[in-house]
This record gives sequence, structure tokens and C-alpha cells, in this order.
Amino acid sequence: MSLKRIRITGISTIVLLLIAVLLAMGIGAVSISPLQILAILTKKAGMQLNVPFTTVQESVLLAIRLPRVLMAVLIGSSLSVSGAAMQGLFRNPLADPGLMGISSGASLAAVAAIVLGIHSNTFFSGVLGIYALSIVTFLGALITAVLVYKIAQSGGRTIIATMLLAGIAINSLAGAGTGLFTFSANDVQLRSITFWMLGSLGGASWNNVLGIIPFTILPVVILPRMAKSLNAFSLGETNAAHLGTNTESVKRTVVLLTALCVGASVAVAGVIGFIGLVVPHIIRLSIGPDNRYLLFLAPVLGALLLVSADLAARTLFIPTELPIGIITALIGAPVFLYIVIKEIKTQKII
Amino acid sequence: MLQVENIGYRIAPGLSLTDISFSVSAGEMLVIMGANGAGKSTLLKIITGTLKMDSGALFLNKMPLRFWQSRALSTFTAVLQQQNQLQLPFSVYEVVMMGRYPHFKTRETKSDEEIVTEVLHKTGIYHLKKRNYLTLSGGEQQRVHLARVMAQISGEKKEDPRYLFMDEPSNNLDIRHQHSALKIAKDFARQGNCVIAVLHDLNLALQYADKVVLLKNGQMMGFGSPIEIMTDEAISDVYDLPLSVFHHPGSMHPMVMPLDNNRLIHV
Repeated sequence: MSLKRIRITGISTIVLLLIAVLLAMGIGAVSISPLQILAILTKKAGMQLNVPFTTVQESVLLAIRLPRVLMAVLIGSSLSVSGAAMQGLFRNPLADPGLMGISSGASLAAVAAIVLGIHSNTFFSGVLGIYALSIVTFLGALITAVLVYKIAQSGGRTIIATMLLAGIAINSLAGAGTGLFTFSANDVQLRSITFWMLGSLGGASWNNVLGIIPFTILPVVILPRMAKSLNAFSLGETNAAHLGTNTESVKRTVVLLTALCVGASVAVAGVIGFIGLVVPHIIRLSIGPDNRYLLFLAPVLGALLLVSADLAARTLFIPTELPIGIITALIGAPVFLYIVIKEIKTQKII
Repeated sequence: MLQVENIGYRIAPGLSLTDISFSVSAGEMLVIMGANGAGKSTLLKIITGTLKMDSGALFLNKMPLRFWQSRALSTFTAVLQQQNQLQLPFSVYEVVMMGRYPHFKTRETKSDEEIVTEVLHKTGIYHLKKRNYLTLSGGEQQRVHLARVMAQISGEKKEDPRYLFMDEPSNNLDIRHQHSALKIAKDFARQGNCVIAVLHDLNLALQYADKVVLLKNGQMMGFGSPIEIMTDEAISDVYDLPLSVFHHPGSMHPMVMPLDNNRLIHV
């Protein structure tokens, strides 16, 4: 693919992301114009712009919309880049943290933590509470990831069909586990469990944003550096090793970082599926499979997609808010089916 | 120079590589031969570091193989595998450029591009360079990988000699491309490098090998020049089929034919 085309795609995605961010901050029960957004933000930085705005607008933007948009950006970008990296690792476009059961593993851990009271423990309040919950969900995600990986390994090769089947099994196992916990949950706990299962950015707050920053920034910064190794991985693990790739360290890093950001995003927003599948797929269609560009563009498009999906989730049926997981599934499931059909035609997974 | 000393490796119950010793000097092409299941590919995997031997010693340019960092190794050794499992729609050019990965950090340089263009010409696939790898035929794909490994060990020398390991390079190729692939390997050896190849085709081995290693059930039946080692008795024993070496009437090239109902075909 020509560098020029890649550059144009990159720049236009960034511009679209900026527009989406402005719209998401401006649209809602209280509308705020882009100029007013700029004025409020610069006021916060100590500068005065000659644009009038009300205090309601100011507090809505700073306390509600800004953390929510930031959360969408952090979650969308890290889930997309880790999805792309997973697909590089497994050499298959169907390797998605959601389909592999990693998100379910994390949400089961979250539900367990809520019902067993780890989450509401007063010792872990505020940002610390988010850190604590993120670590619990990270462990849930990591255990699931390693489990699925081990199951799908056969004679040094990863069988993608096995991996997806194992993912189905783990998804229903986690569903059953969650169901069990709901029996012993009280009303308040029940409400937050529902929230976890459907996925929503409605719980966005500065605490949540600060709580997930370390876990979501790391994949976005580190994974693109592994692009060359992941390209080499597409030739098979042995070939990658012959090209000087430290295959064990690549595998460990990708799985660890994926579990980290899946865990953190499940902790604050529940299960948001298909982002890690859809975003890399769209990019591959437009600029090709080279991870050196894919892993840079995936976080941008992922952020764009999730910010837009969240905007739709909260504005389509005012005053009620749709769980964002429903929107991403509506987009993602058809794309998933399309990839499956294409893969079967080229006899790659069955 | 590659030195293999008394290598032992247990492949399966009742089948072990035992006491394998040979060496390959700069400028030589060594061919490993033997019937199916004799342990040829396993031996190649041990030499290339994919499998760890149970006993014995292996030296690459006088240093034990396990002391070489895989990063350093990848700048002067390349391995052409029998099967390649690329499933993403990379272009031919991009796949061949992967061969240069050990030589640059994130972006390819002008000289990497020149090397890739050169090997694309040499392997006769320059006209395919923009094609999607997945749309190529099996033979074309095999040539792409040959180009990729040649790109890996072309250009500026970082170690002397360099090594090319090949597992069944003639697989999937028609007769013309079988010869052109082996000619590329042979030329590479002639430039002061080492080539170690597993080959099925006895005639190709006779024509291109400087040295051969003959394996039977994990045992080494012989190591030396093809004419010396590939006697009628030895190869008939190894392949469990009456075979005979004779010479092509015009060129006097040695050739192998199965004996038809005990009728000798000696010329």
C-alpha cells in the first residue's frame, strides 16, 4: 500500500476523531458549542476567551462529558490496538478478546468482586478502588487468556477454530458464574451487575478516568513498537524466530497488555464487545495488513468508533440511554459473520 | 564453518538420531538425504536451533550454536521451511522485505529496497511484486519465500561465512524452477557461504551437492562427496528399493534410476 494513501487515511481519521470528540462534548440535554467548549477548557487553563457560557454548561462539560469522552477514547483505543496485536499474534483476523472469552473472564471477576464485597471495601475507595477492581478484572482476563491460549495450542501451532470454541465455552461458563453470583446479590449489587454485563460508559467520572489511564495507555504506547515482530509472526512462529524475533517475549507482552486493558475497561465500563475485531478489520481493508501502520491507526479509529457509538448510545432514545455494548454488537456481529464467511471460503479456519 | 559433532536426539520411541557428525566448510553445499521418516527434517531443526539436541555439540563459525544470540544469528543465517503459513494479504514485495527485518529497526533503508529488488529479479518473481501473496500458486509462494530468505542473507556481510538452510526447497516447483532454486543456492555457496539442504530428489542431490549426509532410521549411513557415498548398495539400502547410479550418456552426469525387475540399466 502506498505511503501517501496510508498518510491520507491516518490524517483523515485523526480529523474525524477530533470532530467526534467535539460533537460528543457538545451534544446532549445541555448543548455546548465548539467555541464554548474551547472557552471553558481555556478558562480552566487560566486564559479568558471572549465567548459567553453558563455555569451549568461549564459543570456539565467538566464533570460529565469530558471524563466520559476521555474514557471512550482510552477504552476504544486500547481495545482496538490490543485486538490488532492479538490478531497478529494468532495470525488470524478472528482473534478478538471478546470472542476469546477474555472480556467475560474479566467481567466474571468483576461480578465476583462486587458480590464478595471487595469492591465496596472502604479501604479501596475512589481511584484506589478502581485500581483494585482493575487488578481483579486484569487477573480474570489474564487467566482466561492463558487458558484459551493453552487449549488452542497443538504441536506448536494455534488452532483458531479450537480457540473460538474455547472462547464460546468460557463465555457461557462466565455467564453461568455471573448468574450464580446474581442469586446472592442484593438490589444495589444487582444493578451494577447488569451494568457490567451490557457495557456502558454511563459511569464515567474523573476517578474512573484516572483509574484506567495507566492500564490503557501502556498498550497504546508499547504494542505499536512490536509491529515488526508481529509482521514476522504472520510467517509462523518458527519463521519469526529465524528472523530474530524473541517469540516468547512477544507472546507474553501482547497477552499481558491485552489482559491489562481489557481488565481495566471491563472494570469501569463493563463488556464492550467487537471493537477489537471491527477496527483492525476496517483498517486492513483500507491500508493492508502491515502492522507497522495498522497498530498506529487502530487506536485512533478505535477511539473514533467508541466516541461515536457512545454519542449514539446516549442521544438516540433520549431520555433513556442504550447500553453501548448493544451498539457495538449491532455493528460488530455482522462484521464478524462477514469475516467468518470469507475465511471459510478461503479454507483458513475449518 | 558448521561443525556437527555426535548429535543425538530422541524423535519417538524406537527412533533416535544417533551419533551424527559432519561439517560444512565455506563454499560448500551439503545435502541431507534419506527415506521418509529417517530424521532429515528433525536434524535440520536441530541445526537451525528450533529443536534442542539431547547430546553432542554444534558449532557455527567456531562458536557453539547456543551461544549465538538469535538476533545476531538472523543477520547471517536464513531458513527456508517446507511449509509456510502466511494467511494475511501481504504483497509479495512486503513478504520479501520481511527477510530484511533483522537488518533494520523500524523502517527499511534504500539499501534494503535495492537488495529486495535484486533478489526479486534473481528468483524470477519481480513481475509478481505487487501481487497479493494469498492469490499466488503454491509454487509461486515457495519462490516468494526463497526470495525472502535470500534477501535475509544478502547485502553487507556481518559474519563470514553466511548460511542458508533449506527443507525440501524443490517442493511444489516445476522442473525449471527446481533447478533455478538450487542454482541460486549453489551460487550462494560458491560465493564462500554454506548451504545445507534436505532434498528428496536423488538426481538433484547428485547434480548440486558438494557433500551428502545419508540417513536411515536416524543413523548416519555416510558422509562425503555424492559419488563416493551414493553407491548402488548404499542408496538401495537407505531407500529399501533396488536403485542404481549410472551416467547420462551425453553429459556424463550421474543419475539414479530404480532397477526394473532385476534388469540392470548400467550404461
